[in-house]
Amino acid sequence: MSDADTLSKLSKLNEKYQMFNDFCRDGELGDAKFLFSAKDNLTSEEYETCAGSRILGGYRPIFDATSIAKLKAAGGKLVGKTNMDEFGFGTFSANSGFGIPRNPFDLSRSCGGSSGGSACAAAVLDDHISLGVSTGGSICCPASFCGTYGIVPSYGRVSRYGLIDYGNSLDKIGILSVDPKQMTKYLPIIAGKDKEDPTSCVQPELKITHKKMKSVAVPREAVEGIAKDVLEAFNKALEDLKSMGIDVEYVDMPELKYAMPAYYILATSEASTNLARYVGMRYGQQEGDLTLGFDDYFTSFRTEYFGDEAKRRILLGTYTRMEGFRDRYYAKALQVRLVVIDAYKKMFQQHDAVLTPTMPFVSPKFDDISRMTPVESYKADFLTVPANLAGTPHLNCPCGYNADGMPIGMQFVSDHWNEDVLLTMAEEWDKQFEVRKAEVSL
Amino acid sequence: MDKDIVARVAKAAHIRLTDEELEKYSKDLGDILEYFAILDEAPNHEGNGINPIEVADVLRDDVPEEKFESEKLLADMKTYENYIRGPKLV
Repeated sequence: MSDADTLSKLSKLNEKYQMFNDFCRDGELGDAKFLFSAKDNLTSEEYETCAGSRILGGYRPIFDATSIAKLKAAGGKLVGKTNMDEFGFGTFSANSGFGIPRNPFDLSRSCGGSSGGSACAAAVLDDHISLGVSTGGSICCPASFCGTYGIVPSYGRVSRYGLIDYGNSLDKIGILSVDPKQMTKYLPIIAGKDKEDPTSCVQPELKITHKKMKSVAVPREAVEGIAKDVLEAFNKALEDLKSMGIDVEYVDMPELKYAMPAYYILATSEASTNLARYVGMRYGQQEGDLTLGFDDYFTSFRTEYFGDEAKRRILLGTYTRMEGFRDRYYAKALQVRLVVIDAYKKMFQQHDAVLTPTMPFVSPKFDDISRMTPVESYKADFLTVPANLAGTPHLNCPCGYNADGMPIGMQFVSDHWNEDVLLTMAEEWDKQFEVRKAEVSL
Repeated sequence: MDKDIVARVAKAAHIRLTDEELEKYSKDLGDILEYFAILDEAPNHEGNGINPIEVADVLRDDVPEEKFESEKLLADMKTYENYIRGPKLV
Protein backbone atom coordinates (compact mmCIF):
# COMPACT_ATOMS: atom_id res chain seq x y z
CA MET A 1 0.00 0.00 0.00
CA SER A 2 1.37 3.45 -0.91
CA ASP A 3 1.92 6.09 1.77
CA ALA A 4 -0.99 8.10 0.35
CA ASP A 5 -3.29 5.07 0.52
CA THR A 6 -2.20 4.28 4.07
CA LEU A 7 -2.84 7.84 5.21
CA SER A 8 -6.16 7.98 3.37
CA LYS A 9 -7.24 4.82 5.16
CA LEU A 10 -6.09 6.31 8.45
CA SER A 11 -8.22 9.37 7.84
CA LYS A 12 -11.31 7.32 6.95
CA LEU A 13 -10.89 5.10 9.99
CA ASN A 14 -10.58 8.14 12.21
CA GLU A 15 -13.73 9.61 10.72
CA LYS A 16 -15.58 6.47 11.72
CA TYR A 17 -14.01 5.72 15.12
CA GLN A 18 -12.73 9.15 16.30
CA MET A 19 -9.67 7.57 17.85
CA PHE A 20 -7.25 10.45 17.22
CA ASN A 21 -7.10 13.99 18.49
CA ASP A 22 -4.44 14.85 15.91
CA PHE A 23 -2.96 12.55 13.27
CA CYS A 24 -0.80 12.34 10.16
CA ARG A 25 -2.99 13.68 7.35
CA ASP A 26 -0.43 13.98 4.58
CA GLY A 27 3.27 13.69 3.86
CA GLU A 28 5.36 10.57 3.65
CA LEU A 29 5.87 7.68 6.00
CA GLY A 30 9.43 7.35 4.70
CA ASP A 31 11.28 4.21 5.58
CA ALA A 32 9.50 3.69 8.89
CA LYS A 33 9.98 0.18 10.24
CA PHE A 34 6.65 0.34 12.06
CA LEU A 35 3.77 2.71 12.74
CA PHE A 36 2.62 3.61 16.21
CA SER A 37 0.29 6.00 17.98
CA ALA A 38 0.45 7.54 21.43
CA LYS A 39 -2.05 8.74 23.97
CA ASP A 40 -2.55 12.48 23.76
CA ASN A 41 -1.06 13.16 27.19
CA LEU A 42 2.41 12.26 25.87
CA THR A 43 4.21 15.21 24.31
CA SER A 44 5.30 15.08 20.70
CA GLU A 45 6.85 17.69 18.50
CA GLU A 46 4.81 17.14 15.36
CA TYR A 47 1.29 17.06 16.78
CA GLU A 48 -0.84 19.01 19.17
CA THR A 49 -0.86 17.60 22.70
CA CYS A 50 -4.03 18.39 24.60
CA ALA A 51 -4.52 15.47 27.04
CA GLY A 52 -8.20 15.53 26.07
CA SER A 53 -8.63 18.97 27.62
CA ARG A 54 -9.91 22.15 25.97
CA ILE A 55 -7.69 24.15 28.29
CA LEU A 56 -4.69 22.77 26.35
CA GLY A 57 -6.30 23.35 22.93
CA GLY A 58 -3.62 24.27 20.39
CA TYR A 59 -0.65 23.35 22.61
CA ARG A 60 2.38 22.31 20.51
CA PRO A 61 5.17 20.88 22.68
CA ILE A 62 8.78 21.43 21.63
CA PHE A 63 10.03 18.02 22.69
CA ASP A 64 9.10 14.35 22.50
CA ALA A 65 8.25 12.32 25.57
CA THR A 66 11.05 9.81 26.27
CA SER A 67 8.81 6.85 25.37
CA ILE A 68 7.95 8.40 22.01
CA ALA A 69 11.55 9.41 21.33
CA LYS A 70 12.71 5.84 22.00
CA LEU A 71 10.17 4.33 19.59
CA LYS A 72 11.17 6.86 16.93
CA ALA A 73 14.85 5.99 17.49
CA ALA A 74 13.90 2.34 16.96
CA GLY A 75 12.53 3.22 13.51
CA GLY A 76 8.92 3.93 14.41
CA LYS A 77 6.70 6.58 12.84
CA LEU A 78 4.20 8.32 15.13
CA VAL A 79 1.01 8.56 13.09
CA GLY A 80 -1.40 10.00 15.62
CA LYS A 81 -2.20 11.17 19.11
CA THR A 82 -5.07 9.18 20.55
CA ASN A 83 -8.21 10.52 22.13
CA MET A 84 -8.72 10.17 25.86
CA ASP A 85 -10.71 11.33 28.87
CA GLU A 86 -9.63 14.81 29.93
CA PHE A 87 -6.29 14.37 31.77
CA GLY A 88 -7.20 10.68 32.17
CA PHE A 89 -10.30 11.39 34.26
CA GLY A 90 -12.67 8.63 33.23
CA THR A 91 -13.45 5.00 32.53
CA PHE A 92 -15.18 5.38 29.17
CA SER A 93 -13.27 8.09 27.21
CA ALA A 94 -16.55 10.02 27.24
CA ASN A 95 -14.98 12.94 29.14
CA SER A 96 -12.84 14.22 26.26
CA GLY A 97 -13.05 17.78 24.99
CA PHE A 98 -12.49 16.50 21.46
CA GLY A 99 -15.14 13.89 20.63
CA ILE A 100 -15.59 10.34 21.86
CA PRO A 101 -13.83 7.29 20.38
CA ARG A 102 -16.21 4.53 19.28
CA ASN A 103 -15.84 0.86 20.09
CA PRO A 104 -14.77 -1.09 16.99
CA PHE A 105 -17.09 -3.98 17.91
CA ASP A 106 -20.15 -1.76 18.35
CA LEU A 107 -20.16 1.95 17.56
CA SER A 108 -22.86 2.61 20.16
CA ARG A 109 -20.53 1.47 22.91
CA SER A 110 -17.46 2.90 24.65
CA CYS A 111 -13.83 2.02 23.95
CA GLY A 112 -13.22 2.23 27.68
CA GLY A 113 -10.93 4.74 29.23
CA SER A 114 -9.00 6.61 29.64
CA SER A 115 -6.70 5.31 26.85
CA GLY A 116 -9.78 4.61 24.69
CA GLY A 117 -8.34 6.00 21.49
CA SER A 118 -5.21 3.90 21.92
CA ALA A 119 -7.21 0.68 22.36
CA CYS A 120 -9.31 1.56 19.32
CA ALA A 121 -6.20 2.24 17.21
CA ALA A 122 -4.61 -1.03 18.34
CA ALA A 123 -7.81 -2.88 17.46
CA VAL A 124 -8.50 -1.46 14.00
CA LEU A 125 -5.09 -0.60 12.51
CA ASP A 126 -2.96 -3.36 11.01
CA ASP A 127 0.30 -4.30 12.78
CA HIS A 128 -0.10 -1.36 15.10
CA ILE A 129 1.08 -0.64 18.61
CA SER A 130 -0.21 2.22 20.70
CA LEU A 131 1.28 3.81 23.78
CA GLY A 132 -1.24 4.19 26.58
CA VAL A 133 -1.00 5.55 30.10
CA SER A 134 -2.53 3.91 33.15
CA THR A 135 -3.21 5.71 36.41
CA GLY A 136 -6.05 3.57 37.80
CA GLY A 137 -6.87 1.17 34.97
CA SER A 138 -6.60 3.26 31.84
CA ILE A 139 -4.83 0.61 29.76
CA CYS A 140 -6.40 -2.66 30.91
CA CYS A 141 -9.97 -1.29 30.86
CA PRO A 142 -9.93 -0.12 27.23
CA ALA A 143 -7.89 -3.16 26.19
CA SER A 144 -10.62 -5.34 27.72
CA PHE A 145 -13.47 -3.40 26.08
CA CYS A 146 -11.78 -3.38 22.63
CA GLY A 147 -10.45 -6.94 22.71
CA THR A 148 -6.71 -6.18 22.66
CA TYR A 149 -3.80 -7.10 24.85
CA GLY A 150 -2.48 -4.36 27.11
CA ILE A 151 0.61 -4.34 29.32
CA VAL A 152 1.12 -1.92 32.19
CA PRO A 153 4.68 -2.16 33.52
CA SER A 154 5.80 -1.52 37.08
CA TYR A 155 5.62 2.05 38.30
CA GLY A 156 8.98 3.58 37.36
CA ARG A 157 9.77 1.11 34.56
CA VAL A 158 9.10 3.59 31.73
CA SER A 159 10.22 7.20 32.06
CA ARG A 160 7.38 9.67 32.60
CA TYR A 161 9.36 12.50 31.06
CA GLY A 162 7.02 14.23 28.63
CA LEU A 163 3.89 12.79 30.23
CA ILE A 164 1.30 15.36 31.26
CA ASP A 165 0.81 14.36 34.88
CA TYR A 166 -2.44 13.09 36.32
CA GLY A 167 -1.15 11.42 39.50
CA ASN A 168 2.64 11.39 39.76
CA SER A 169 2.78 8.38 42.08
CA LEU A 170 0.38 6.38 39.92
CA ASP A 171 1.03 7.17 36.23
CA LYS A 172 2.57 4.37 34.14
CA ILE A 173 3.18 4.23 30.38
CA GLY A 174 2.43 0.93 28.66
CA ILE A 175 1.54 -0.67 25.34
CA LEU A 176 -1.66 -1.91 23.68
CA SER A 177 -1.65 -4.31 20.73
CA VAL A 178 -3.57 -7.28 19.36
CA ASP A 179 -0.21 -9.06 19.03
CA PRO A 180 1.52 -9.88 22.34
CA LYS A 181 4.83 -10.41 20.54
CA GLN A 182 4.82 -6.69 19.74
CA MET A 183 4.54 -5.89 23.44
CA THR A 184 7.46 -8.20 24.22
CA LYS A 185 9.46 -6.52 21.48
CA TYR A 186 8.73 -2.88 22.30
CA LEU A 187 8.37 -2.74 26.09
CA PRO A 188 12.14 -3.27 26.61
CA ILE A 189 12.73 -0.46 24.11
CA ILE A 190 10.67 2.14 25.98
CA ALA A 191 11.79 0.88 29.43
CA GLY A 192 14.97 1.92 31.20
CA LYS A 193 16.52 4.55 33.38
CA ASP A 194 16.15 8.17 32.36
CA LYS A 195 17.84 10.97 34.27
CA GLU A 196 14.86 13.19 33.41
CA ASP A 197 12.61 11.01 35.62
CA PRO A 198 14.25 10.04 38.93
CA THR A 199 11.53 7.47 39.66
CA SER A 200 12.81 5.46 36.68
CA CYS A 201 16.33 5.29 38.08
CA VAL A 202 15.89 2.55 40.68
CA GLN A 203 14.68 -0.15 38.32
CA PRO A 204 16.49 -3.42 37.65
CA GLU A 205 17.04 -4.24 34.00
CA LEU A 206 14.02 -5.65 32.16
CA LYS A 207 15.19 -9.05 30.98
CA ILE A 208 12.98 -11.19 28.77
CA THR A 209 13.73 -14.78 29.82
CA HIS A 210 10.34 -16.19 28.80
CA LYS A 211 9.61 -17.33 32.32
CA LYS A 212 6.39 -19.33 32.27
CA MET A 213 3.60 -18.82 34.74
CA LYS A 214 2.92 -21.84 36.93
CA SER A 215 0.37 -20.68 39.47
CA VAL A 216 -2.27 -17.97 39.79
CA ALA A 217 -4.34 -16.79 42.76
CA VAL A 218 -7.95 -15.76 42.13
CA PRO A 219 -9.35 -13.53 44.91
CA ARG A 220 -12.92 -14.51 45.80
CA GLU A 221 -13.70 -10.82 46.36
CA ALA A 222 -12.92 -10.10 42.72
CA VAL A 223 -15.62 -12.34 41.28
CA GLU A 224 -18.46 -11.02 43.43
CA GLY A 225 -20.91 -8.79 41.60
CA ILE A 226 -19.48 -9.58 38.18
CA ALA A 227 -21.85 -9.67 35.19
CA LYS A 228 -22.92 -13.18 34.23
CA ASP A 229 -21.42 -13.08 30.73
CA VAL A 230 -18.05 -11.90 32.08
CA LEU A 231 -18.03 -14.55 34.79
CA GLU A 232 -18.81 -17.32 32.31
CA ALA A 233 -15.95 -16.30 30.04
CA PHE A 234 -13.61 -15.93 33.03
CA ASN A 235 -14.48 -19.38 34.40
CA LYS A 236 -13.92 -20.90 30.97
CA ALA A 237 -10.52 -19.15 30.84
CA LEU A 238 -9.62 -20.65 34.23
CA GLU A 239 -10.27 -24.12 32.83
CA ASP A 240 -8.12 -23.31 29.79
CA LEU A 241 -5.30 -22.11 32.06
CA LYS A 242 -5.50 -25.37 34.00
CA SER A 243 -5.24 -27.30 30.76
CA MET A 244 -2.07 -25.28 30.07
CA GLY A 245 -0.61 -26.68 33.28
CA ILE A 246 -1.18 -23.59 35.43
CA ASP A 247 -2.43 -24.11 38.99
CA VAL A 248 -5.47 -22.00 39.87
CA GLU A 249 -6.25 -21.36 43.54
CA TYR A 250 -9.05 -19.27 45.01
CA VAL A 251 -7.81 -17.03 47.81
CA ASP A 252 -9.07 -14.28 50.12
CA MET A 253 -7.77 -10.73 49.65
CA PRO A 254 -10.08 -8.63 51.87
CA GLU A 255 -7.68 -5.67 51.57
CA LEU A 256 -8.77 -5.13 47.96
CA LYS A 257 -11.96 -3.38 49.08
CA TYR A 258 -9.91 -0.48 50.50
CA ALA A 259 -8.02 0.13 47.26
CA MET A 260 -10.78 2.05 45.48
CA PRO A 261 -11.23 4.93 47.96
CA ALA A 262 -7.48 5.08 48.62
CA TYR A 263 -6.79 5.31 44.91
CA TYR A 264 -9.32 8.06 44.22
CA ILE A 265 -8.09 10.11 47.18
CA LEU A 266 -4.44 9.90 46.11
CA ALA A 267 -5.18 10.35 42.41
CA THR A 268 -7.39 13.39 42.87
CA SER A 269 -5.08 14.92 45.50
CA GLU A 270 -2.17 14.72 43.10
CA ALA A 271 -4.29 15.81 40.13
CA SER A 272 -5.62 18.87 41.91
CA THR A 273 -2.08 20.12 42.48
CA ASN A 274 -0.85 19.15 39.00
CA LEU A 275 -3.70 21.01 37.33
CA ALA A 276 -2.94 24.19 39.24
CA ARG A 277 -0.51 25.10 36.44
CA TYR A 278 -3.30 25.56 33.88
CA VAL A 279 -4.22 29.20 34.28
CA GLY A 280 -4.15 30.58 30.73
CA MET A 281 -0.59 31.88 30.69
CA ARG A 282 1.85 29.31 29.32
CA TYR A 283 0.02 26.47 27.58
CA GLY A 284 -2.89 26.13 25.20
CA GLN A 285 -5.71 28.61 25.74
CA GLN A 286 -4.31 32.05 26.59
CA GLU A 287 -6.79 34.59 25.22
CA GLY A 288 -8.20 36.28 28.29
CA ASP A 289 -8.97 39.68 29.75
CA LEU A 290 -5.60 40.85 31.11
CA THR A 291 -7.21 43.75 32.93
CA LEU A 292 -8.64 41.29 35.45
CA GLY A 293 -6.84 40.65 38.74
CA PHE A 294 -4.88 37.39 38.74
CA ASP A 295 -7.42 35.50 40.87
CA ASP A 296 -10.26 36.41 38.51
CA TYR A 297 -8.10 35.78 35.41
CA PHE A 298 -7.06 32.28 36.53
CA THR A 299 -10.57 31.46 37.69
CA SER A 300 -12.12 32.53 34.40
CA PHE A 301 -9.91 30.15 32.38
CA ARG A 302 -10.33 27.19 34.66
CA THR A 303 -14.10 27.69 34.88
CA GLU A 304 -14.46 28.03 31.11
CA TYR A 305 -12.16 25.26 29.89
CA PHE A 306 -12.10 22.44 32.48
CA GLY A 307 -14.80 19.83 31.91
CA ASP A 308 -17.32 18.55 34.44
CA GLU A 309 -15.31 15.53 35.65
CA ALA A 310 -12.09 17.53 35.86
CA LYS A 311 -13.83 20.04 38.12
CA ARG A 312 -15.30 17.25 40.26
CA ARG A 313 -11.87 15.65 40.76
CA ILE A 314 -10.14 18.97 41.43
CA LEU A 315 -12.74 19.73 44.10
CA LEU A 316 -12.43 16.26 45.63
CA GLY A 317 -8.62 16.34 45.64
CA THR A 318 -8.49 19.85 47.07
CA TYR A 319 -10.91 18.86 49.83
CA THR A 320 -9.06 15.68 50.87
CA ARG A 321 -5.81 17.64 51.28
CA MET A 322 -7.34 20.46 53.32
CA GLU A 323 -6.43 21.02 56.93
CA GLY A 324 -8.86 19.15 59.13
CA PHE A 325 -9.56 16.43 56.53
CA ARG A 326 -6.04 15.51 55.44
CA ASP A 327 -5.36 12.86 58.11
CA ARG A 328 -8.68 11.10 57.61
CA TYR A 329 -8.34 10.90 53.84
CA TYR A 330 -4.93 11.61 52.28
CA ALA A 331 -2.70 10.27 55.08
CA LYS A 332 -4.89 7.19 55.51
CA ALA A 333 -4.87 6.51 51.78
CA LEU A 334 -1.06 6.50 51.79
CA GLN A 335 -1.13 3.84 54.50
CA VAL A 336 -3.73 1.78 52.65
CA ARG A 337 -1.50 1.75 49.58
CA LEU A 338 1.11 -0.12 51.68
CA VAL A 339 -1.55 -2.45 53.10
CA VAL A 340 -2.56 -3.39 49.53
CA ILE A 341 1.08 -3.84 48.45
CA ASP A 342 1.67 -6.16 51.43
CA ALA A 343 -1.42 -8.18 50.46
CA TYR A 344 -0.07 -8.65 46.93
CA LYS A 345 3.44 -9.54 48.20
CA LYS A 346 1.88 -12.23 50.38
CA MET A 347 0.17 -13.73 47.33
CA PHE A 348 3.39 -13.62 45.30
CA GLN A 349 5.12 -15.83 47.87
CA GLN A 350 2.94 -18.68 46.61
CA HIS A 351 1.82 -17.61 43.16
CA ASP A 352 3.24 -15.99 40.03
CA ALA A 353 0.23 -13.73 39.57
CA VAL A 354 -3.12 -12.62 40.90
CA LEU A 355 -5.86 -13.15 38.32
CA THR A 356 -9.27 -11.47 38.04
CA PRO A 357 -11.65 -10.41 35.31
CA THR A 358 -10.45 -7.01 34.05
CA MET A 359 -13.81 -5.22 34.11
CA PRO A 360 -17.04 -6.23 35.86
CA PHE A 361 -19.06 -5.90 32.63
CA VAL A 362 -18.58 -5.63 28.87
CA SER A 363 -18.37 -2.20 27.32
CA PRO A 364 -21.60 -0.32 28.09
CA LYS A 365 -23.62 1.73 25.62
CA PHE A 366 -23.22 5.50 25.73
CA ASP A 367 -26.87 5.88 26.78
CA ASP A 368 -26.18 3.75 29.86
CA ILE A 369 -22.96 5.62 30.62
CA SER A 370 -24.79 8.95 30.58
CA ARG A 371 -27.11 7.67 33.33
CA MET A 372 -24.28 6.55 35.66
CA THR A 373 -23.61 8.52 38.84
CA PRO A 374 -19.97 9.41 39.61
CA VAL A 375 -19.83 6.72 42.31
CA GLU A 376 -21.20 4.07 39.91
CA SER A 377 -18.61 5.09 37.36
CA TYR A 378 -15.75 4.96 39.90
CA LYS A 379 -16.94 1.53 41.12
CA ALA A 380 -16.48 0.14 37.60
CA ASP A 381 -12.72 0.41 38.21
CA PHE A 382 -12.65 -1.79 41.30
CA LEU A 383 -10.73 -4.60 39.59
CA THR A 384 -8.10 -2.45 37.88
CA VAL A 385 -7.42 0.04 40.67
CA PRO A 386 -5.61 -2.21 43.22
CA ALA A 387 -2.64 -3.07 40.96
CA ASN A 388 -2.35 0.56 39.91
CA LEU A 389 -2.35 1.74 43.51
CA ALA A 390 0.36 -0.84 44.25
CA GLY A 391 2.42 0.06 41.17
CA THR A 392 2.61 -3.62 40.22
CA PRO A 393 2.74 -4.65 36.56
CA HIS A 394 -0.45 -6.01 35.04
CA LEU A 395 -1.77 -7.37 31.79
CA ASN A 396 -5.09 -7.63 30.00
CA CYS A 397 -5.65 -10.72 27.87
CA PRO A 398 -8.81 -11.10 25.80
CA CYS A 399 -10.51 -14.24 27.14
CA GLY A 400 -13.96 -14.41 25.58
CA TYR A 401 -16.89 -12.75 23.80
CA ASN A 402 -20.48 -12.45 24.97
CA ALA A 403 -23.60 -13.24 22.95
CA ASP A 404 -23.43 -9.78 21.33
CA GLY A 405 -19.84 -10.38 20.28
CA MET A 406 -18.41 -7.91 22.81
CA PRO A 407 -14.90 -8.70 24.09
CA ILE A 408 -14.21 -9.80 27.66
CA GLY A 409 -10.81 -9.58 29.32
CA MET A 410 -8.91 -11.07 32.24
CA GLN A 411 -6.19 -9.31 34.17
CA PHE A 412 -2.96 -10.82 35.50
CA VAL A 413 -1.02 -8.90 38.18
CA SER A 414 2.59 -9.85 38.96
CA ASP A 415 5.19 -8.63 41.43
CA HIS A 416 7.14 -5.40 40.94
CA TRP A 417 9.59 -5.60 38.02
CA ASN A 418 8.27 -9.04 36.90
CA GLU A 419 6.90 -7.98 33.52
CA ASP A 420 8.66 -10.96 31.92
CA VAL A 421 6.19 -13.49 33.30
CA LEU A 422 3.25 -11.40 32.06
CA LEU A 423 4.62 -10.93 28.55
CA THR A 424 5.33 -14.66 28.32
CA MET A 425 1.83 -15.43 29.60
CA ALA A 426 0.32 -13.25 26.89
CA GLU A 427 2.27 -15.04 24.18
CA GLU A 428 1.39 -18.49 25.57
CA TRP A 429 -2.28 -17.54 25.89
CA ASP A 430 -2.33 -16.19 22.35
CA LYS A 431 -1.27 -19.61 21.02
CA GLN A 432 -4.45 -21.23 22.27
CA PHE A 433 -7.03 -18.39 22.34
CA GLU A 434 -8.29 -16.97 19.08
CA VAL A 435 -8.48 -13.20 19.37
CA ARG A 436 -11.26 -11.87 17.14
CA LYS A 437 -10.39 -8.89 15.00
CA ALA A 438 -13.08 -6.26 14.85
CA GLU A 439 -14.80 -6.10 11.47
CA VAL A 440 -13.63 -2.83 10.01
CA SER A 441 -15.68 -1.51 7.10
CA LEU A 442 -15.19 1.93 5.60
CA MET B 1 -21.50 17.76 51.58
CA ASP B 2 -22.22 21.17 53.00
CA LYS B 3 -22.50 23.72 50.18
CA ASP B 4 -20.46 26.28 52.13
CA ILE B 5 -17.53 23.86 52.26
CA VAL B 6 -17.79 23.12 48.54
CA ALA B 7 -17.85 26.86 47.83
CA ARG B 8 -14.71 27.30 49.96
CA VAL B 9 -12.95 24.44 48.18
CA ALA B 10 -13.94 25.80 44.76
CA LYS B 11 -12.57 29.21 45.63
CA ALA B 12 -9.25 27.67 46.73
CA ALA B 13 -9.16 25.70 43.45
CA HIS B 14 -9.91 28.78 41.32
CA ILE B 15 -13.16 27.39 39.94
CA ARG B 16 -16.36 29.45 39.83
CA LEU B 17 -19.59 27.50 40.37
CA THR B 18 -23.16 28.48 39.58
CA ASP B 19 -25.80 27.75 42.21
CA GLU B 20 -26.89 24.76 40.17
CA GLU B 21 -23.32 23.43 39.97
CA LEU B 22 -22.81 24.02 43.68
CA GLU B 23 -25.88 21.90 44.34
CA LYS B 24 -24.70 19.16 41.97
CA TYR B 25 -21.10 18.92 43.22
CA SER B 26 -22.23 19.06 46.87
CA LYS B 27 -24.38 16.00 46.26
CA ASP B 28 -21.71 14.20 44.20
CA LEU B 29 -18.94 14.82 46.72
CA GLY B 30 -21.23 13.81 49.56
CA ASP B 31 -22.03 10.51 47.81
CA ILE B 32 -18.36 9.90 47.02
CA LEU B 33 -17.17 10.58 50.57
CA GLU B 34 -19.94 8.40 51.97
CA TYR B 35 -18.59 5.57 49.82
CA PHE B 36 -15.02 6.36 50.95
CA ALA B 37 -16.03 5.94 54.62
CA ILE B 38 -14.98 2.30 54.35
CA LEU B 39 -11.42 3.59 54.70
CA ASP B 40 -12.10 4.18 58.40
CA GLU B 41 -12.19 0.37 58.82
CA ALA B 42 -8.92 -0.20 56.96
CA PRO B 43 -5.90 -1.28 58.97
CA ASN B 44 -3.16 1.23 59.62
CA HIS B 45 0.40 0.83 58.39
CA GLU B 46 3.60 2.10 59.91
CA GLY B 47 5.10 3.19 56.60
CA ASN B 48 4.37 6.11 54.34
CA GLY B 49 3.23 5.13 50.86
CA ILE B 50 4.10 8.32 48.99
CA ASN B 51 5.40 6.07 46.20
CA PRO B 52 4.54 2.46 45.40
CA ILE B 53 8.22 1.58 45.02
CA GLU B 54 11.24 2.73 46.93
CA VAL B 55 12.48 5.82 45.15
CA ALA B 56 16.11 6.74 45.73
CA ASP B 57 17.16 10.34 45.89
CA VAL B 58 18.92 11.12 42.66
CA LEU B 59 20.77 14.29 43.47
CA ARG B 60 23.38 15.93 41.29
CA ASP B 61 25.25 19.18 41.14
CA ASP B 62 23.52 21.95 39.24
CA VAL B 63 25.08 22.37 35.84
CA PRO B 64 23.86 25.34 33.79
CA GLU B 65 22.75 24.37 30.32
CA GLU B 66 20.33 25.62 27.70
CA LYS B 67 18.27 22.53 26.99
CA PHE B 68 15.71 24.38 24.92
CA GLU B 69 16.12 27.61 23.04
CA SER B 70 14.11 30.29 24.80
CA GLU B 71 12.63 31.41 21.45
CA LYS B 72 11.15 27.95 20.99
CA LEU B 73 9.76 27.93 24.51
CA LEU B 74 8.14 31.30 23.97
CA ALA B 75 6.76 30.41 20.54
CA ASP B 76 3.66 28.75 21.99
CA MET B 77 2.93 31.57 24.42
CA LYS B 78 1.17 34.86 23.81
CA THR B 79 4.16 37.05 24.58
CA TYR B 80 4.71 40.79 24.61
CA GLU B 81 8.21 41.85 23.60
CA ASN B 82 9.42 38.36 24.55
CA TYR B 83 7.89 38.58 28.01
CA ILE B 84 5.19 36.20 29.19
CA ARG B 85 1.97 38.15 29.60
CA GLY B 86 -0.10 37.85 32.72
CA PRO B 87 -2.94 39.53 34.57
CA LYS B 88 -2.29 42.44 36.87
CA LEU B 89 -1.10 41.60 40.36
CA VAL B 90 -2.51 44.63 42.17
